[in-house]
Parts: sequence; C-alpha cells; structure tokens
Amino acid sequence: MTDVGLQHYLDLAERFQAERAAGAPAWLRAFRQEGIAQLARQGFPTSKLEDWKYTNVSPISGQSFSPVRTVHEAGVEAAVARLALPGTGPLLVFVDGWYVRELSRLEGLPAGLTVRSLREALQDGEPLEALVGSRARADASAFTALNAALLEEGAVVRVAPGTVCPEPVQFLFLSRGDTHVALASPRVVVRAGDNSELTLVESYVGAAPGVSFTNAVTEVVLGTGARVTHLKLQAESETAFHIGGLHAELGRDSRFASHIISLGGALARNEVHSVFGAEGGECTLQGLYVGHGTQHLDNWTNLDHAHPRCSSRELYKGVLDDKARGTFHGKVLVRPDAQQTDSRQSNRNLLLSEAAMADARPQLEILADDVKCAHGATVGRLDEQALFYLRSRGISRAEAESLLTHAFAKEVVGAVPLASLRDQVEALLARKLPGAKEGRA
Amino acid sequence: MKPLLSIKGLHVRVAGREVLKGIDLELMPGEVHAIMGPNGSGKSTLSQVLSGRDTYEVTKGEVLFDGKDLLSMQPEERAHAGVFMAFQYPVEIPGVGNLHFLRTALNARRRTEGKEELDAMDFLQLAREKSKLVQLDQAFMQRSVNEGFSGGEKKRNEIFQMAVLEPKLAILDETDSGLDIDALRIVSGGINALRSAERSMLVITHYQRLLEYVVPDKVSVLANGRIVSTGGKELALELEKKGYAWLGQGAGGKEARP
Repeated sequence: MTDVGLQHYLDLAERFQAERAAGAPAWLRAFRQEGIAQLARQGFPTSKLEDWKYTNVSPISGQSFSPVRTVHEAGVEAAVARLALPGTGPLLVFVDGWYVRELSRLEGLPAGLTVRSLREALQDGEPLEALVGSRARADASAFTALNAALLEEGAVVRVAPGTVCPEPVQFLFLSRGDTHVALASPRVVVRAGDNSELTLVESYVGAAPGVSFTNAVTEVVLGTGARVTHLKLQAESETAFHIGGLHAELGRDSRFASHIISLGGALARNEVHSVFGAEGGECTLQGLYVGHGTQHLDNWTNLDHAHPRCSSRELYKGVLDDKARGTFHGKVLVRPDAQQTDSRQSNRNLLLSEAAMADARPQLEILADDVKCAHGATVGRLDEQALFYLRSRGISRAEAESLLTHAFAKEVVGAVPLASLRDQVEALLARKLPGAKEGRA
Repeated sequence: MKPLLSIKGLHVRVAGREVLKGIDLELMPGEVHAIMGPNGSGKSTLSQVLSGRDTYEVTKGEVLFDGKDLLSMQPEERAHAGVFMAFQYPVEIPGVGNLHFLRTALNARRRTEGKEELDAMDFLQLAREKSKLVQLDQAFMQRSVNEGFSGGEKKRNEIFQMAVLEPKLAILDETDSGLDIDALRIVSGGINALRSAERSMLVITHYQRLLEYVVPDKVSVLANGRIVSTGGKELALELEKKGYAWLGQGAGGKEARP
C-alpha cells in the first residue's frame, strides 16, 4: 500500500525536478535531488517508528496528492479579508501553496526587514544556499524530504541586526478545497540578525471544505540576542491533511517562542524541532489542539539543550471530543555539556467523551548533572466537583461544561502574545467547543 | 402558613451505607434552623442531598420545596427555584472569572423567570453593591472563581454569591469552619443582613460558635442519621456545655466537643 503511494510521490518529484532543471542553480538541483533520495530511502513512516507510533500516515501516502496550479476566485479574496490581521504589516497569501502576489502586501516594510516570495527569490538567482535547509534537513523525515524535493514556493524573511519589526509578518496559506488532492509544499526561511525582534504568524485555513495536503516546513535561525515569536494557526478543513515542521536554532542569549493552535485537519501533525545553538537561550513552546469527530491531531516536539545556561518552558494542552485522538510526544534532550539547564514541560489533556483518546508521551533524556528539569502529563475529564458547583448556582450542565472547557483552553489561548490573532482563535473555539455560547471568563 | 421546606422520612445511602435514617424536618418561610451534630452524623449528607449532588442515593422519603418535589429536580433547577448552598469547601475553578460565572448563573435563573438578562455593566453595579455586605474587594471579583482565595475569602465569596442570587432557601454547610474570629464576624454579618421574612436558612454546624452571631429560631441535633432533639436556641448552648455525649447512647459521634 505504502509503496504504491511512495512511487507516486517519487515520480512526482522526478518530474518536478526535470521540468525545473533548466536554469536552476546547481545547489538547488542538488537540494531537490537529496530530497528525492531521502524520500526513496526512508519511505513514508510507519507506526513501527517510535516517532510515528500513534499516527498512521497511510491516508496521505495512499492518496495521489499533487501540486495544483490554481486560479484564485472570489471565495479566496473573502477568506483573505476575513483572516488578514489588522494593521499594515507584511502579508503573504498562498493559495494551494502558490504565492499570489495580487493578494499579498509587501510594500512599506521597515528598514532592515526583507520579505520575499521564495519562488521569486529563486527566479532572481538569489544565493539561498546557506539559508534553505540549514535547519530542516531532508533526512529528518519523509515529509521534510518531500518538501525539499518539491522546493519552490514559500518565503524568505531576513531581519538585519538590531531591527525591531513593529508589526508581525503574516503568512496566509489557503486551501481552496474544490481542487481535490492538491499538495502544497511551502517552505519559509527566516534569518533574524543579532538583537533583532520579529513576530511571524502562519495561518493555515481551508477556504472551503475539501481534501488537500499541506506539507510545510519553516526554518528559523536566531542570531545573538534575537527575539522571535512564531505563531501558527492550523485551522484547515476537517477533511484536509497537514504536516508541519518548525525548525529553530537559537543563538546566544536569544529568545524564541512558538505558539501553535491546532484545530483543523482530518490528520494534522505539528512538529517543533528546537535546538540551542549557543549559551543563554530561552525557548517557549506552547500548543493547543482541539479535536472532535474523528480528527487525529499529533503534536511532536524536540527540544535540544545542546549548550549550557539555557531554559525552556513547554506547555501543550489538548481538548478531545467524540472519537478524536490527540497525541503529544515531547522530547527534551539535555546534552552532557548543557549544565544549568532549566527545563519544564507539561502536557494536559481533557477528554470530553468516552471514545476520545489522548496519548501523552513526555521523554526526558538528561546527560548533564547540574540541571533543573521537570515534566508532567495528565489525561482527565471535566472536574465533577467544579461542574456541580457551577450547576448548584443555576448554570445548566451544558453551559457549565462549556465554561470549564474554555477555561482549560484559556491558559494557552490567553498566552498567545498577539491580541488580533487571539481574537480569531477565540472566535474559532467558540464555534468549535461543545455548547459554547458565552464561555469566556 | 405552609412550610417552605418539608422533609419527610428521608433515608439516604452513601456507598452502600445508610447515612440518613429517617429525617423529618419542616422549615417555615423566614425561619433560621440550625442543624448541629458530631462528625459523621449525616449533616453534610443532608445539605448535599438538598442541593442535588448525585453521589447520594435516596432510598426512602420525600422533600417538598415550595410544594414541589425537590429530589426530582436537577441541581440547576433547584437553584432556579430558589435553593442555594454555601459550600463547606468552595471549589476553585481556574480560568473562569468570578464575575462572569456569577452573571452567567444569575442570568440563567432570570431566563427561567422570564426576566431580561443583566448586561455586564448592570451586573457589575449589582455586584459592587452586594460585595459590600461581606467586604469583598473588587480585585477578588475579577479573579478566577475561588482560585488562590484564603479560607475566609472563599466563605465570604459564598455569602456574596448568596447575596446576588437572593435564594428563598440558603443551606449554610459548615460556613464557620476554617474561619478566624474576624472572618467569622464578617461572614455572620453578611448572613444576618440577608435574613428576611421571605428567606429561610438551614445552618449546618458542628460548633455553637457561629450561632452566637447568627442566632437561630430553632436548633435540631442530628446524630447517627436521625434528629434526636429539637429545641430553641438554648439547645445549642446546652450542647456546648455538655457535649454531644450528653444526648445519650446512639447520639455519640467521633468527638464530643471542639
């Protein structure tokens, strides 16, 4: 089964490489070729692999997703109007993985900030060799390899040293839905110079229900003292597939924060690979996954404490209803030299139905001795005592459940450090969570 | 005048064990009736049964509230009908704002009464007014329900909620437990301010101390799941002097005196 699917993707990648070979620089051809080679070598992951134990990707590998060049329609413009964050900051719109210049806004950037479409940058022959693939290597997984093999679309963001970007850079990835089996492989590459500050927002949204597959890779490299906040809203249609890999390297005394809100997809996996590249970094990883129906929401994180005096804070929370399944696999590796590491990881899951499932798998590997590390994981139901307390005051059971569920999610939603995105998330949650009417505190 | 609350032959089981073994009690409108008893006598079970906690099994008997079958009502329906229980251990609910919670509760009841819901501004004004009764700071109203509140603050919050919800029947379950003397004065002051001809109270307590401040019309003593004695407020004083052992065999709980 997997082999048939794999062959489709290998053929696809070979064709893609051949069609684009003319005029492509040697490094780019080699990069794509390495993607093809890694995809062929690894094949799609099976649940025999530790890192894929709970997630069966055969719905993706067994279908013939292919890049689709789309024309955008009125529905897309309405979606952009609805999802674009207020303000005049840079906005890049992608439809089924294709950058749409007419819907994007890249003028008036502050000095020191450059944002370009990856396709345009490649066409112009920009030397991106050192940027693309610096963190997300093709051997990381078949999906990273596939993204490399089909490298073309995405964006390049550069922030010059000392530049403080006043407004977030927003990426809007729309899946159009009517184009069945569309494959989007965007890659966003970010270089934040020393002491620069940047907020990035990646929104993945289905413009209409449909079957699509987004296989996204984002690479962020932070210079000394840089501060980067990466916010991701994954709200694709519940028939869509999403695999996203966020790869970050933190420079000396830099701060990186990732907040991922995962609501959409039949199957969605959000990976975060974060490595401290020097001393003194601070990393925050937060996630909220809310599933219902038969959604499968996979959260995989890897925090590599490769240097001393770094701290990490990780909080992932899941709310699962109906027959939905949520998984959390959080690795923290403290290498032998990484003394005075301060790391805390927590995963909490709320099950709202008998058939909902959560797999919590925190993994700590500590090879240094002078460290502070804590982790914890819980899977539970709504607190009966709290429910009774609310009901005893006249609040119906349904409304009490809604209040408590929103309160559970609030810890992560409330920590999203961008009010306009927080509002969008709250509105989406208000529609998604059961009995939700006025459940906010 | 008809009783507001009428308990007849109430038998209740908890985890297979009979905890209430035939309670008969009537509460007239405006009456304050203290239920005293040693630990394990069934006091808290009685309050929980009346408020609708479903971990108890009623095996026999009935409870009429305002002429209606109380035991067939859901906890929220009881609240809408005018029953309020001040919890012995108020529950902490992180992430749910105190004010939002209470407005949701009040509006749920107003809807059943066909009244217009209060908006945030009107409610805030009402809450400010009522919070003065128990000297509850504005800051507490903005915080999550009971989260990080001290024992005294939690009990004041219970009485504050009672003041906003204006029940016909208030069940005060060991409201004095865990209070120092200053907090006890504030809480009792709030309770007394809420006494009225239309509001009955069932004051459940182990000690006589609370009853020095909230003076009851009647006192009943509960022991081993039965009411063994009923009298006026002087009964509480007598218990204080002589201890529960004085009530004789069958009344003795695990401890006789504070």
